[in-house]
Amino acid sequence: MFLAIVPAYNEEKRIGSVVRSLFEYVDAVVVVDDASTDKTVDESRKAGGVVLSHEINLGQGAALETGHEYARQAKADHVLHFDGDGQFHVEDIIPALDKLKKKKADILFGSRFLDNRSNMPWFKKYIVSPVGHMVNRAFGAVRLTDVHNGFRILNKKALNNIKISQDRMAHATEILALTKKYNLTYIEFPVKVTYHEYGQSAAGGFKIVRDLLFGKFMKKN
Amino acid sequence: MLLIFQILFILFALFAIANVVSKKKEGALGPKGILFWILFWVVAAMVVVWPDSAQTIANKLGIGRGVDLVIYSAIAVIFFVLFRLHVKMESLKRDFTQIVRDKALKK
Repeated sequence: MFLAIVPAYNEEKRIGSVVRSLFEYVDAVVVVDDASTDKTVDESRKAGGVVLSHEINLGQGAALETGHEYARQAKADHVLHFDGDGQFHVEDIIPALDKLKKKKADILFGSRFLDNRSNMPWFKKYIVSPVGHMVNRAFGAVRLTDVHNGFRILNKKALNNIKISQDRMAHATEILALTKKYNLTYIEFPVKVTYHEYGQSAAGGFKIVRDLLFGKFMKKN
Repeated sequence: MLLIFQILFILFALFAIANVVSKKKEGALGPKGILFWILFWVVAAMVVVWPDSAQTIANKLGIGRGVDLVIYSAIAVIFFVLFRLHVKMESLKRDFTQIVRDKALKK
């Protein structure tokens, strides 16, 4: 079974169409609603998705891990991480899955840098990304062309090994570090990203570094 | 002859110790916690009543003034407690995440 995990927080405008379009490419869609205050849950259900609701807002990392737990219980063979805000494009899913299978890799990371279909703001491209790369390297992540990309496909082995403990945005770096830690084979795949919202601000970046630092002192579950 | 500050500080220390004892009765403090906090306030009160004691110890440790010794130790203790508090909060957050997750999965 190929299962899509869509973390969503107040995405009532786009979540419905994201879920509907995903059904053409995956077997099941799980929307993890992170305590949205709008109609995200209703829209997701209307579109036919399974909805898991956090009663309290925990962050994207926590939402993904809730989806992982569901996928493990459902014995999914492959899991897709797909953002709920419509920034990714469903046409990338099947070629990506094919490549993962063909290369016998455990995990696939989407990248905005392997082709030029994504319209990245220049500040993001030349300032935020290089700093992100440095942070990733400092925290033992595998090297990728794209520092923070929410498009990923995990096989069963990756799903069982990658347990996200970073509740907020630092999970992206944590996933890369776990990939290295468990010697998972990984590939990158060009995906298109359309920006509807800005994403990580500089302040958000500092929060990520802070979470990663404190995470170093915490026992892993 | 005690200064007004010394009297006020002793009263405050007594109040703090009474607070520690009542927290113990509520079960919010373990035996190590009680010992630490009672000792802490007793030593603090003693240093306030006999400022020369801090001076003597400071000189032995190679610190110039007794007040400096008190400030250095106070900062060290504050940071240690702050660190413990932070770790505790992080672990609470993890438990909390687990509960919210389990609940989301059960429905």
